[in-house]
Amino acid sequence: MSGVLEVVGLRRTYGTVTALDDLSFEVPAGRVVGFLGPNGAGKTTTMRAIFGLTDLDAGEVRWNGASVGQKERRRFGYMPEERGLYPGMLVGEQLEYLGRLHGLTAADAKAATNTWLERLDIADRRGSKVETLSHGNQQRVQLTAALVHQPELLVLDEPLSGLDPTGIDAIGQVLVDQAAAGCCVLLSSHQLDQVEDLCEQVRIIDQGRMVVSGTVDELETSGARRLVVRVEGDRAADWAQQLPGVSVSELSAGAVRLVLDSSVNSDDVLRAAMQAGRVTEFSFERRRLSEVFREALT
Amino acid sequence: MTHLYIAIVVAAAVVLRVWIRRSRRRQRGPMGSKQGSWPANLEGSLGEVGMVAGREIRERVRGRIFRIGTLIMLIAVAAAIIIPTIHSGSSGPTAQTVGIVGGLSPEAEALIDAAGAANEDTVKLVDEPSLAAAKTDLRAGAVDLAIVDSTQILLDRPASSKGSDADPGLVQSAAEYLGVVEAYHSAELTPAQASLITNSKSVAVRTLQPGSNQTVKATSIIGLVLLFFMLQQYNTWILIGVMQEKSSRVVEVLLATVRPIQLLGGKVLGIGLVALGQATIIVAFALIVGAAVGSDLLKGTGPLVLACELLWLVLGYAFYCWVYAAGGSTAERQDQVQTLALPLSIPILVGYVFSITVASSGRPDLLFKVFAYLPPTAPFCMTVLVGLHQVQWWEFTASALISVAGTAGMAIFAARIYRRAVLRTGGRVKLRELVAR
Repeated sequence: MSGVLEVVGLRRTYGTVTALDDLSFEVPAGRVVGFLGPNGAGKTTTMRAIFGLTDLDAGEVRWNGASVGQKERRRFGYMPEERGLYPGMLVGEQLEYLGRLHGLTAADAKAATNTWLERLDIADRRGSKVETLSHGNQQRVQLTAALVHQPELLVLDEPLSGLDPTGIDAIGQVLVDQAAAGCCVLLSSHQLDQVEDLCEQVRIIDQGRMVVSGTVDELETSGARRLVVRVEGDRAADWAQQLPGVSVSELSAGAVRLVLDSSVNSDDVLRAAMQAGRVTEFSFERRRLSEVFREALT
Repeated sequence: MTHLYIAIVVAAAVVLRVWIRRSRRRQRGPMGSKQGSWPANLEGSLGEVGMVAGREIRERVRGRIFRIGTLIMLIAVAAAIIIPTIHSGSSGPTAQTVGIVGGLSPEAEALIDAAGAANEDTVKLVDEPSLAAAKTDLRAGAVDLAIVDSTQILLDRPASSKGSDADPGLVQSAAEYLGVVEAYHSAELTPAQASLITNSKSVAVRTLQPGSNQTVKATSIIGLVLLFFMLQQYNTWILIGVMQEKSSRVVEVLLATVRPIQLLGGKVLGIGLVALGQATIIVAFALIVGAAVGSDLLKGTGPLVLACELLWLVLGYAFYCWVYAAGGSTAERQDQVQTLALPLSIPILVGYVFSITVASSGRPDLLFKVFAYLPPTAPFCMTVLVGLHQVQWWEFTASALISVAGTAGMAIFAARIYRRAVLRTGGRVKLRELVAR
């Protein structure tokens, strides 16, 4: 199971609003790719375009180099932002039905449903109506609906929203496992800490355009240096505000996170800190994904 | 006889219940795929459309609304057939015992029988040995009236008075007929001449305008009422079903793998097959109950009218299901559906009311005949024209073909609206916006 998703030159306008503006990117096989952007950036429109759910003014979606049609989409799994299941239908029957629509035989759909319900720890709700499940369990059923036919591409719009830490861990592990098995995984989320943990690559878009693309590792190690300094008894970090070429990124629990211009000598920063009080922490850190995100949008 | 009717209705209810339980047991069987069941066969032969249709069939038939609705309709049909039969039975032949004092000539006896038949009475003649005996029997109620020497009719009390056992119509007819016999004798007619006159037959009466046929009229009206309710019910299923798929957002998951026309086609096919099945059960039930109680509703052209109504139910559903599906795709809340339901049902209401009026009067005008060729109103109007013998086979066929062509056009238009509207959320989508783009 492997394949590459290519989004090439997507353009979509709604009246005077440009939702997608010549957007192009790639999702390689065997990787979990985070699809990030502020609200209204065009993430959901892009995901819908992959499934032919929105008309495009220009551009194309390709799978392994060929234009995507209904036949290819049957091998894709989709979890939309606004969850969609039949509220009054039984969980097991619903998943079998969706599996069959994706081309499974009745027996295979039944077996896959049982396997995934066991895996996501909701096998005891097989005979329950969806509307009677908790939010977290509905989320698991929704993910199962996207997985039941063993897709080659998983597109998940905000799959982690509203989940408790246990749910996030369970679903996150499933996504990592799927990628390890060769599946392409594209997920959008505003929970950047979780994206940082789950994803190997990110694509950040704004106003329908690609602004940052790369591996999480590359992005976190690139850019200006980050320095965390803790001075005993100093919670305002006034000493750091005065330093040329240094800006305060974050101040919390007595530690200040500084961003240094390339011209700044870290010894000067240490000296300034020692003048303010006893230095209990002084360490270089990687750029966080949230910082990458914010910097990309400024 | 009443027990028979009750037994039939109870038996039908039991059969329906057993059928439903068996189908539910099949659904709970070890194979969730229901291999061999007809929804499964449908899925196998029609691909995605069949799978969508199969799901619709299973969910509808399993639903309480369907089961209770079918039962209510069966009871209503049974009542509509049985009650008129019981009613006509209560005003049927009345037994009248006529005492004869001094004998009765054969001609007079034949005339008294004829008078009884004319008044729907079963007449029994009994000889009275004397006038006094006749009076005694009258007072005791042993006889209802007495004929004395063929020249006089004796009653216990005036026939029109409350408590009189004598049928006033029979008394009046018998008095007139005996007067005629008396006149024959006065005219010195031979018995043969008198018999010839007595047994004369009425000449045929023909009319330039056809009169209304009560039986066909009743069959038509019952059928129209059923047609109206079924069309409303099945189309409302479509309207709400499409709206619910949109409001629950499941449509986005479905359309990620099947085309809009496949999803819509499967839905209308599934609901249509459930509708046809339900209608067939009701018509078959009506035929069985009608035959069992000897109802007039199914005599003459009654079965033809029923068959015609079944055909037009299919054609009417085929046309309107697309209209309602397109309408449902523009709404995502119950209140929006209620707002939509009335304007969508106006053509059905117009056709129904117009048809009921014409079926009652038996006189279709030109406008009605035009409506019989328009797909929205043809299911009602053409059915009435068939019942009134006001249509040729080729006219019927032309109307059906126009309806099929109209349905094809409507399906294309509705699929376009559906595709554009069903994924647009955040308020009701206006038709103008969908057509303009």
